[in-house]
Amino acid sequence: MRLSPSPSIGGRLARSLVLWSVLWCAALGAAVWVIVQEEVEELLDDSLQSAAEGLIGPLVLSLTEAVDPATLPPRSKTSGRFTWQLVSHQPRVHLVASARGAPVAPLHDTPKPGFSDVPGWRVYGQATGRDGQMVYVAQTTEERVEAGAEIALAALFAGAPMTLLAVLWLRSRIHRELRPLRDLSERLAHYDPVHPEATLGPAERAELRPVHAAIDALAGRLTRRIAHERAFTSHAAHALRTPLAGIDAQLAVALREAEASHRPRLQRVRTAAERLQRVVVALLAMFRTGAEVQRNEIDVAALVARHPIEGLALEARGTTRLDADPDLLTAAVLNLIDNAHRHGARSVTFSTPAANVLRVQDDGPGVDPARRRELRAAIEAQDYAGRTGLGLMLADLVARAHGGGLSLPDLASGFAVELNLGTRDA
Amino acid sequence: MRLLLIEDDELLGGGLRDFLRVDGHAVEWARRLGDIEAYRGEPFDAYLLDWQLPDGSGLEWLMARRQSGDVTPVLMLTARDLLEDRLRGLDSGADDYIVKPFAPEEMVARVRAICRRSAGSAGARIRVGDVEVDLVARCAWLGDERIELTSREWSVLEALVLRPGRIVTKAELERLVLGFESELSSNAIEVHVSSLRKKLGRELVETVRGMGYRVGAAP
Repeated sequence: MRLSPSPSIGGRLARSLVLWSVLWCAALGAAVWVIVQEEVEELLDDSLQSAAEGLIGPLVLSLTEAVDPATLPPRSKTSGRFTWQLVSHQPRVHLVASARGAPVAPLHDTPKPGFSDVPGWRVYGQATGRDGQMVYVAQTTEERVEAGAEIALAALFAGAPMTLLAVLWLRSRIHRELRPLRDLSERLAHYDPVHPEATLGPAERAELRPVHAAIDALAGRLTRRIAHERAFTSHAAHALRTPLAGIDAQLAVALREAEASHRPRLQRVRTAAERLQRVVVALLAMFRTGAEVQRNEIDVAALVARHPIEGLALEARGTTRLDADPDLLTAAVLNLIDNAHRHGARSVTFSTPAANVLRVQDDGPGVDPARRRELRAAIEAQDYAGRTGLGLMLADLVARAHGGGLSLPDLASGFAVELNLGTRDA
Repeated sequence: MRLLLIEDDELLGGGLRDFLRVDGHAVEWARRLGDIEAYRGEPFDAYLLDWQLPDGSGLEWLMARRQSGDVTPVLMLTARDLLEDRLRGLDSGADDYIVKPFAPEEMVARVRAICRRSAGSAGARIRVGDVEVDLVARCAWLGDERIELTSREWSVLEALVLRPGRIVTKAELERLVLGFESELSSNAIEVHVSSLRKKLGRELVETVRGMGYRVGAAP
C-alpha cells in the first residue's frame, strides 16, 4: 500500500512564517502609510498656515496697490510647489498681488479662511483685516502626494529587508530546533531494544522526554515479549523436533527390518514424516521472533542437493550463490520444493536472475492469470490466510525478513517464484 | 563402533539405538546423566549426546569430560538450532553438531566422520600398510583386491584402525565389539584376529604380548 507523503513540521512552520511575515509587513506598511500621511498632511498644513501668517504683515504694510507678478524676482524650482495670493474681495474680487508663477485667477472667489482644496492646490486663507483682503498660501496637491508616497515607500523599503532577514533567521532556527528530532530518528534507525546495551541516550529537548519515555516503555514491553517468545520457541522446538527425529529413526529401523512387501508403504510414511519435519522446522525458524537475519554465503545448489525428493529433479543453473540466512532460506526453499512436488511438478530449477535474487521455477501446471493476480495481491497485502499456501507465505516472510520481497513472474507454463533477499546494508 | 547414546526421549533414543545396532554398531543407551556413571571406564568410539537432559545439561557434562582429559569424539544431538547454540556446542568440546529432526543415516555418517578424523584420517578410507579400510563400505582392500569380512571381523578391525598405534586390550576390544551384551567365548577375539591376519596379512594386527593388540606403528 502506498502512503501519501506526511506533511513536514519544518515545512509547515516555514510556510506559516513566510505567510505571516508577508502579512505583517503589508499591515505594518499600511499602518505606517496611513499614519505618515496624516502626520505629513498635518505638518504641511502647519507649514501653509505658518507661511500665511508670516506673509500677512509684510504684504499688508507694503502693498497698497496691485503688483504685477512679472515684476517680482524669479523663483527657485522648488518654490514652484508653493505660491501665495493677496486677493481683494471688495467691491469685486481681484488679485492684488501674487507670487510669480501663481495662478492668474484668485484661488477663491469669495473669502475662504482656513484650509481648503481647489483643483491642484491645498490652500490656507487668512483675512488681512483690510477691506475684505485675503492672503492665500497654497501648495500643489501633487507635491503633497509625492511627499506622502516617498515616506511610505521609504518605510516599506526599510521594513522589507528586515522582514526577509527575520524570515531567513527563523527558518534557520526552525531547522536547528528540529535537529533533535532528526537525531532521534537516526538513533531509532539503529536502536535494537533487544540488545542488552541498547540505549536511546538522554532527550535533547524537554518536549522529547515523553517520546523517549514512550519508546523506552515500548522497548521494555517488546524485550519482555521477545524473551517470552524465545523461551516458548525453545520449548516448542524441543517438544516438536525430538519426537519428529524419533519418528524418523523408528521408521528408518522399520524400513530396514520390514519385509520387502511392506517397505513401499513404510517409505511413503517416512516421506510424509520428512515433509512434516520441513514444515515444522520452517515454522520454528519463522516464529523465532527477535532473531536477526544471520547472513552467510549460501550455495543453493549444495543446499538443494542435501534435500533430495524422490520423483523430483532439482537443477541449479548458473551461479546460485546468495547472501542470506541459511536456516531461513533453507526453510523457504524446502517448502517451495515441497509445493512444486505436491502440485505435480517433475523438475524444479534454481537460478539467480539478479544480484541476491533467487528464482525457483517448476514445470508443474502453474496457475491461471487470475489466480496469479490474486496471489500477488495476497502477498502484497501480507494477507495470507486462505489466499496462499504455506510455502508462498514462508517464502514471502523469509524474503521480507531479509529486507526484500517475493514476486511471481508471468509464465506461459509452470510456476515461478522470485525471492529478493535484499542486501546487507539495506 | 561402540557408541554411548545419551538421550532422554524414548522414541528417539530407542529408534537410534536400534538403527545403530542394525547398522552393526554396539550401542549403550543412557537416558540421564546419572546413568552414565554405569559406563565409567568403558571404552567408546564416540558419544552421541543430547543437550537438554532431565537431570542436567549435556553440554556441561561434556565440558567436564573434556577437562578430565576424555578425548572421545562427541556428536551433539539437539533441538537447539540457533547459531549461538551451535557455536557454543562446538566451542565446548563437541566434534560435530546435528539439529533435530535429522535422518539417522546422516547421523551415522557424521559419527563415522568424527571417528575417522579422531583416528587421523580425513578420507573415508584408512590405510594401514598395504591394507585400506573403507569405513563406509565396511570392507577392506588388499592392494586392488576387495576383501570381504564377517560382521565380527569387521567390528574388530574397525575398533583397531580407529585407534592407530594404540594398544587395545582384549577386554577393551570385546567391549568395543559387542558392548555389555557380549556373549563371545573366551577366545573369540583371538579367533577373529587370526582370521583377519589370514585375510589381510599377518603384519596388519600386531600382538603386544601380555597387553593386547595394535594396528599401525606405535606413536
